Amino acid sequence: MSTATVEQRLLEIWEEPKGLRGWFATVDHKEIGKRYLWTAMIFLLVGGVEALIFRIQLSRPDQAILSPEMYNQLFTMHGITMIFWYASPILSGFSNFVIPLMIGSRDMAYPRLNAFGYWSFVLSGILLYIAPCMAQAPHAGWFAYAPYTSAMYSKGIGMDIFSYSLIFLTISTTAGAVNFIVTILRLRAPGMTISRMPLLCYSTGTISCAIIFSMPALSVALVMLELDRQWGTHFFDVAHGGNVLMWQQLFWFFAHPWVYVIFIPAMGILSMIFPVFCRRPIVGYPYVAMATVLTGLVGFGVWMHHMFSVGMSNMAMSFFSAGSMLVSIFTPVQIFAWLATMWRGRVVLKTPMYFAMGAVAILVIGGLNGTYTGVIPVDWQVHNTYFVLAHIHYVLVGGNVLPVFAGFYYWFPKMTGRMMSERLGKWSFWIMMLGFNVGFFPMHLLGLAGMPRRIYTYEPGLGFGNLNMTVTVGSFVFAFGILLSIINFFYSRKHGEIAGKDPWHADTLEWALDSPPAPYAVAHIPTITSRNPLWDNHDEFYDPDDARVFDQGREVPASTWLDAIPLGISQMPAPTLAPLFLALALFVLFLSLTFTWMWAALAGVILTFASGAYWAWPKREEEGARA
Amino acid sequence: MSATVSLHEQTGNEAHAPLDDKRGLFGIWLVIATEGCLFVTMFSAYLLMGSSKYRWQTNRPPKLGYALALLAILVGSSIVLMVGERMVKQRRYFASRVILVITILMGLAFLGLQALEYLDHWKTLTPDTNAYGSIFYMITTFHAAHVIVGLLFLGYVLFIPQYEPASNSPHRPYQIASLYWHFVDVVWIFVVIILYLIPHGIVYGL
Repeated sequence: MSTATVEQRLLEIWEEPKGLRGWFATVDHKEIGKRYLWTAMIFLLVGGVEALIFRIQLSRPDQAILSPEMYNQLFTMHGITMIFWYASPILSGFSNFVIPLMIGSRDMAYPRLNAFGYWSFVLSGILLYIAPCMAQAPHAGWFAYAPYTSAMYSKGIGMDIFSYSLIFLTISTTAGAVNFIVTILRLRAPGMTISRMPLLCYSTGTISCAIIFSMPALSVALVMLELDRQWGTHFFDVAHGGNVLMWQQLFWFFAHPWVYVIFIPAMGILSMIFPVFCRRPIVGYPYVAMATVLTGLVGFGVWMHHMFSVGMSNMAMSFFSAGSMLVSIFTPVQIFAWLATMWRGRVVLKTPMYFAMGAVAILVIGGLNGTYTGVIPVDWQVHNTYFVLAHIHYVLVGGNVLPVFAGFYYWFPKMTGRMMSERLGKWSFWIMMLGFNVGFFPMHLLGLAGMPRRIYTYEPGLGFGNLNMTVTVGSFVFAFGILLSIINFFYSRKHGEIAGKDPWHADTLEWALDSPPAPYAVAHIPTITSRNPLWDNHDEFYDPDDARVFDQGREVPASTWLDAIPLGISQMPAPTLAPLFLALALFVLFLSLTFTWMWAALAGVILTFASGAYWAWPKREEEGARA
Repeated sequence: MSATVSLHEQTGNEAHAPLDDKRGLFGIWLVIATEGCLFVTMFSAYLLMGSSKYRWQTNRPPKLGYALALLAILVGSSIVLMVGERMVKQRRYFASRVILVITILMGLAFLGLQALEYLDHWKTLTPDTNAYGSIFYMITTFHAAHVIVGLLFLGYVLFIPQYEPASNSPHRPYQIASLYWHFVDVVWIFVVIILYLIPHGIVYGL
């Protein structure tokens, strides 16, 4: 059997169907990963435009461009869109595209579940954006504190749409988390022991576990909110024995781990980029891996630091303050590892490295002012002021947006086969850095001067005017920097330099494949002997007698989770429309629950089970079975 | 170089490589973990709301008889289903289908009896009576919803054409559905302890 015929056979097996049906039926992780990325980028742009609109309103005292209610809806939609529909899905997109390639596999562990995760993410976003189209968007901030969200104070459909679209999204996110855990633990190529796994696998695995254990708290809280709003229960109604603070407890028990969900995989992206552009393996691999896992773990023990001002026992305050300080031990372990990698290596200044270094600089500022706010007296002083806004934006731009752009510049050649323009990329980087710091650093000063967050305007004599104008100007510059990268993206997709397999001389397995990778990814399943497979002397793909081709159906080898010893063959499903049907059925269900069309909801339940059964119904042996 | 693990060496001829049929099991364990957290969250909410409210102590605890009868039915169904799992392993597929029918009937009996319990409780307590009523009905209804999902799951396994090991998914459908059913059963044990037994214990000064 010559190599050409092996590759032809694999292509025949793994090729996705063409046409409209094929587009909807695909289960290829590369395609789904790319869809996650551009869909999340659309949400980033929508959320960004919302922010720019209310920044215009805030640029001068006593402006009346927006009504207070419209202002509330805009900042709420900005927060929800960014935190739920951009920040996490974009990281899922990278992990989805890259991780199976990185671990020498051919797909995710559950390809159909993967497609379902994408469709339900899109449909939940559509459900959310029905609200602003009806001019009744949610208006209570992204953490939606009770009792302001109860039917008495938040009339209209906005908060209902908020709840049901988020419940829908939790299903999508949980499906993704299950998929990542099993993929990372079971589908690694032979020899890729847990101590040789790329660090992105550690970070994605950690946050997937965090999602499994923290997401249900959000679902329960949202169900309670909807029961209160629509069905007259009393969970958050003090007059009938309910507990208003319970919303905050449940929400933050979920949302603090969530902060790490949208931050730790970005750290993983940086841990992939730094070694490549420092031309050496990362310094302190085991410490970085452990710090990643421990950050995820400690994330469960700090949620009350969002609530220091509600009143709690000294014991609780000390515990949660100490927990918050602990985070500032584990994250610096990673930061120092990157700095040491740069120090001990030979830095190559390409655009991904610019963004990665910029991310570290911004993240350190965000981490430092976060440590401030973890100190209780300071927290009481700056609680609900622009200081906290400065903190969250420094952490999320340094810990999510800039690493995401670094990831785009880094993996774009692998996804499209072409390089992004370095020149435009560096311009974009400097403009983003300039705009961000001009725009968001003054928020510290505004916060310390006492400007509360979430007010639609302020009076002229307070001295906030000039700083707010600076913030607005800076945000527009920042947005322009992002726009440059998007132009770069569209330009380079057509006109970029041809990238070849490994333009960065990188160390991980995805760079051994074609750019863009073939549908089957690897013709010969690799064997791994070190942490930097492409930098060592071992030929991962050496397979003279075609023993590791696996071309009798859609096959991927499974291995043990610790030592990556081969276990057997996993059969992968063929493309199918079932995931789309299931996501649509759930869309019907949540839409009708929002508007309390109970008969339609019953139909939604029945459709859900019908499409679930269609999905799981055994395929006959003849269809793509092993000989 | 022992580190160079070759799949070829490990599994011999590729055509005879064993089939990995445990992916689904792995997945259902994670689903159970996250659904378990759903109930842990609701129990926490119950305890949190009850801890600061003297008002709950004046509530009459829910009647114990129903809960214990329901517990007996559900634990019994789990034991029956375990026998079925063993029969699948022994390749006695028809017998395992019969046992599935018995389990499903017991599950339906559970739902029927719980409906009677609701009718009884409804006279004194509804979800909009107070926060206690809200959380009591929320937890028990969520559990009932999980029983229904479990029943649909078992019903699906009852109707799929074959249980023999196959190269295509679903692998081990019987085992996966049983695992979910056992989970639903274990949750009810905690419901009985936290919602029924402990309040009764407090009433009797235990």
